[in-house]
Amino acid sequence: MGTKIKADLYQTYLASLLRGSKSECLNIVTTLLENKIEIRELYTELFQKSMYRVGELWEINEISVSREHLATAITENMLSVTYPYLFTGVKSDKTAIISCTANEYHQLGGKMVADIFELNGWDAYFLGANTPVKELLQFIDEIKPDLIGVSLAVYFNLPALKVTLEAITSHFQNLDILVGGHAFIWGGTGVLKNYPGAHYYESLAQLEADL
Amino acid sequence: MKEKLLASAQKLIPPSEKARKEFNAKIGILVDKGNKSMAARPDLDKLICAENLEMAENNNSNFARFMDSMFVAYDPSILVETVLWVFKAYRSHGFLPTYWAANLDIWLRMLEKELSDESFKAISPFYNWIVVNIPIFVKLTDECLSVEIPCGTNDR
Repeated sequence: MGTKIKADLYQTYLASLLRGSKSECLNIVTTLLENKIEIRELYTELFQKSMYRVGELWEINEISVSREHLATAITENMLSVTYPYLFTGVKSDKTAIISCTANEYHQLGGKMVADIFELNGWDAYFLGANTPVKELLQFIDEIKPDLIGVSLAVYFNLPALKVTLEAITSHFQNLDILVGGHAFIWGGTGVLKNYPGAHYYESLAQLEADL
Repeated sequence: MKEKLLASAQKLIPPSEKARKEFNAKIGILVDKGNKSMAARPDLDKLICAENLEMAENNNSNFARFMDSMFVAYDPSILVETVLWVFKAYRSHGFLPTYWAANLDIWLRMLEKELSDESFKAISPFYNWIVVNIPIFVKLTDECLSVEIPCGTNDR
């Protein structure tokens, strides 16, 4: 647990999130930001941790899919609250495109990754959920980024990830590719060895350390 | 018990690219037919707990796509952990262990009918592995279930 997010504060936030109280969540997040919490700590120790718990609560039938989706929507709102604090760092001239694979509809993790790039001075283009490969390739060609990040939340979308990686590596041989997401909690990153330039990042902390 | 699952899963041989492509091409048909077969069962409400039909159909679709992922890049640990997760999550929502026995029986019969003999021989061991290990998946997920289970019965 981070220094600014004590256990009782986390539980209060989680309870507010599960109740669907956007205003209570907003109060907590705003206060933490005013107290100069590190953005990454806020993302991992509050947003990510609470959403993993929300997922677990659905698994054990403690909450409905509706409430899970509500929590996701509120968390996306809370990410937006951090935006005034995201763009304050020294700008680099680097650009990243962050996208979910085709058929991947869980976009929260990818959005957090894009924000971490912004926080570290990059220009990050977040394309959101379910990006068709053809469109992604066209956008890469247009933007010419230094790096592309691909997010995979559920393992059954692995074939779509492979198709995406094959397309990127065949069209843009020297482009660095970052791969991450909840899909890899039990492994499965070995498939990336087939794609030069593709690297797996386990956490936002690992990513930020490399930026 | 989990180690036993992992050890047996490690003996499964990933299908050839040809067999995987044949399976992948049939996913839509297989999911559709499988859902219709399950829906026709008179005991479906008991197997999945009433009003869970949409969840059962989503599970069937996700299951097919997951198996396709396994055939693309087989990882025994992911197979074991994912099936355990499915048993835990869906049993928590009222699905009976006999749901998987029934559903996998349908899958095996469909695969035999829809795939070539060669592809069926390559792919069916994965489904048979789950069938054979249902009692272990049930045992391992028993302790994860909450006290209040919808449609709770003693045979879960």
